[in-house]
Amino acid sequence: MLHKLLPVLATLTLILSACAGSTSQPDPISSNQNGNILSGKLIIYSGRSEPLIQPVLAAYQAKNPQIEVLLKSGSNSQMANTLLEEKANPQADVFITTEVFTAHALSQEGIFQPYEPAGYQNLPDAYKAYDASWVGLTQRMRVIMYNKDLVSQDELPHSMFDLTDPRWKGQIAAAGSTNASMQAQIASMIQLVGQDQTEAWLKGLMENEVTFFGGHSDVRKAVGAGEFKLGLVNHYYYYLQLGEGSNVGIIYPDQASGEMGIISNATTAAIINGSRNPDAARDFLDFLVSAEGQKIFAEGNYEYPLLPGIALHPDLVPTDGLKMANIELAQVVENFDATFVLIDMANLP
Amino acid sequence: MFRTEALRSTNRRQNKPIPKIAFLAGWVALLAVVPVIYILIRALTGDPELWQRIIQTRLIKLFSNTLWLVLAVTSGTTLLGVSMAWLTERTDVPGRKIFRWLLALPLAIPPYIGAIIHLALLRPHGGLISQWLEGTNFASLPLPNPTGFWGAAFVLVIFSFPYVFLLSGAAFRSLNASFDEAARMLGRTSWQTFWQVTIPAIRPGITAGALLVSLDILAEYGTVALLRFETFSSAIFVQLAGRYDRSAASILSGVLILLALVILYGEFRIQGQSQFTQIGSHWRPTTLIHLGKRRIWGFLALLFTVLVSFIIPVGLLLFWSAQGILDQQTISGMQIGSKGLLSFIFNSVWSSGFAAILAVLFSIPIAIYVVRYPGKVSRLFSRISQVGYAIPGVVVALSLVLLVNRFLPFLYATPLVVVMAYVVRYIPQAVRSSESAMHQLSPNLEEASRLLKRNALQTFVQVTLPLILPGLLAGSALVFLSSLKELPATLLLRPAGFETLAVRVWIWTEEGFYLQAAPASLLLVVISIIPLYFLLRRETIFRQ
Repeated sequence: MLHKLLPVLATLTLILSACAGSTSQPDPISSNQNGNILSGKLIIYSGRSEPLIQPVLAAYQAKNPQIEVLLKSGSNSQMANTLLEEKANPQADVFITTEVFTAHALSQEGIFQPYEPAGYQNLPDAYKAYDASWVGLTQRMRVIMYNKDLVSQDELPHSMFDLTDPRWKGQIAAAGSTNASMQAQIASMIQLVGQDQTEAWLKGLMENEVTFFGGHSDVRKAVGAGEFKLGLVNHYYYYLQLGEGSNVGIIYPDQASGEMGIISNATTAAIINGSRNPDAARDFLDFLVSAEGQKIFAEGNYEYPLLPGIALHPDLVPTDGLKMANIELAQVVENFDATFVLIDMANLP
Repeated sequence: MFRTEALRSTNRRQNKPIPKIAFLAGWVALLAVVPVIYILIRALTGDPELWQRIIQTRLIKLFSNTLWLVLAVTSGTTLLGVSMAWLTERTDVPGRKIFRWLLALPLAIPPYIGAIIHLALLRPHGGLISQWLEGTNFASLPLPNPTGFWGAAFVLVIFSFPYVFLLSGAAFRSLNASFDEAARMLGRTSWQTFWQVTIPAIRPGITAGALLVSLDILAEYGTVALLRFETFSSAIFVQLAGRYDRSAASILSGVLILLALVILYGEFRIQGQSQFTQIGSHWRPTTLIHLGKRRIWGFLALLFTVLVSFIIPVGLLLFWSAQGILDQQTISGMQIGSKGLLSFIFNSVWSSGFAAILAVLFSIPIAIYVVRYPGKVSRLFSRISQVGYAIPGVVVALSLVLLVNRFLPFLYATPLVVVMAYVVRYIPQAVRSSESAMHQLSPNLEEASRLLKRNALQTFVQVTLPLILPGLLAGSALVFLSSLKELPATLLLRPAGFETLAVRVWIWTEEGFYLQAAPASLLLVVISIIPLYFLLRRETIFRQ
């Protein structure tokens, strides 16, 4: 009976592949500032969730049809490992990270080459390398999102440490220990509240039977669907879920006096030392911090653009009124070993 | 290549020169074993302090998780596989010829795609089933938790049982009617006959199948990661993807390999014994058992299994694909960098195809050596080349990253590393197919060719090759099928821009984009059905 099905299956294969074929259209050939026509491969390693980086790549590809934009995405630390392994034999041109600590650590290993993209001096000092080896793109905050159908206003948690309260047992979703934002939060907390309190917090999460997913997309969807009451996410995952029509709310944690404040971080980009297409890499970095590139992050992803003067997404709360945690970049990077020891000790999945 | 005078010399072995083919076979065995040895050395030379920390914090839990899962899935597949085979081979249940095909088809669905569907259906609140039940009288029906141990065990049983089904089906088919008749004449009931005659007769085949399933479970990454049940494979992946230190991953890999080698050794032992099920010249098919009124239950059991393991998953994939294709946003989301779905298909097919060809080419010297020069050394080479069965994809990836970067940097970050991983991982399947093809070829033909003044190479090309070709093709189809579905090694080793269908399915699913993942999943299943169909036609139960 199967041989009768085979032609049908073959046809189906053809239809499917035809429908989903390439959609990019040729545009006028672009050139960089020096007027050189850019071409060749531009290899980008990215630790960011793919759908959050794909729009800006698509826009860049559309502007530069001569360049073949190739993306390899994975977890932040997976890509960082790969870059370290490839140090003698570099393959990538650009690395995009979800947080600054990895960028800083890799820059100390000599993985990046310095470059000041157009408009570099306008970017905030807190989010660029002292030697221009990496540059911040957008800012984001660690927040708690909740399902409004399941949690009432008066019982909302106010602090990260409320997540270890037994009344939320089994009701919380978060990203697991491979997730760079989660790793960065733990490393930041070690600096902010000390190793013991951080360890207690992690153990508390485990005792509270927090469900750890591979990434935040799962977390936001699960909270949106009411599978969990609370989710520990980056702020834009709340907005993305809200945009899909879910009845969800956002909590900016640790705002009271004496509390640590919101843990914020930034996505970054850097050019690899030994890049085979440095012209395209530089042009791409220019694009990422240009008004055009920053707008894509701001409008599509609800991220806080680091380039001043770019309008926030209208739904986004400005950072001005919020209490931000005081994070020392270099010190936090020192905490990374401790972070992984804590993760292992707590058996964080 | 062939020394005819040596073909049957069993007692004059001492002074026999080493055949040239042994060197070729030796290289292949070396290629297959280097990654394992490298990881074992890395593990054993790991920092003692790290060993201690791993033993204290993780090892016991990983061991018990992994072993329980292996045990549960192996028992489950055996139970389901044997009963399905019994129903379709030994009873008069209606529609059994079609069911035979349908029961083998889940082999085209990688377990992680099964897990995606399982999760999409059963997730509490968000799942499709709870959405359908909403507003009906069944809304408060408690649904089983789709994740964790039971979820993973269920999915793995549902998508692995066809291995046991095919093996036990073949065993049932080859049973000689005279066994049954003798037992019945000696006053045994049909139930006693089943346990005392049938089961012992098919046991070696089933045990071998079950052990291969357990090796598969040890290696499985996607399903356990998705359903959040931590085993060695997923823990190693987390180490590789989430940490800056390779030592812990090497240590866990070393332990996992040792565990797998024990199982593989058991499987080798049984391989030697499973000669039970051969069809001799006096063979007559056993008579079918008439189920009578119970036929309907048999039919329902078959129908339910087929629904759960093939029809519902493929139906859902078709539905999502249709939805996805009609939605412009989903279509444009299928573009990754400058690459689209066509390139994913192309990459999947050529890398798997290339791996299949290489694996079969490499398996030929081993097969010739072990079949034409039986002895301790040749058997050792043959077994060493099958060690790949015991190295999960994550471990292959880890060792190739380290080895290639160090010794073959020009190969690094090319798709060829991915192909190498497939070859190392799946060459055992090619070796087995080639060996069994060589076994069926009488050495007389080769001797005749040599007497007619053909040299070894001519003999191989003109006589041996055409005759073993169907066996070689079957081996390559098997390697192709496995490589197409391979996930963890591809995820870790692929260069930028080299995306396969399996990788896309995985990344889109991780992001929760089921509509985007569906066409790629469906294509993966559809492409898998082609080699699977070819392979199934060679199976005993599908030969007429």
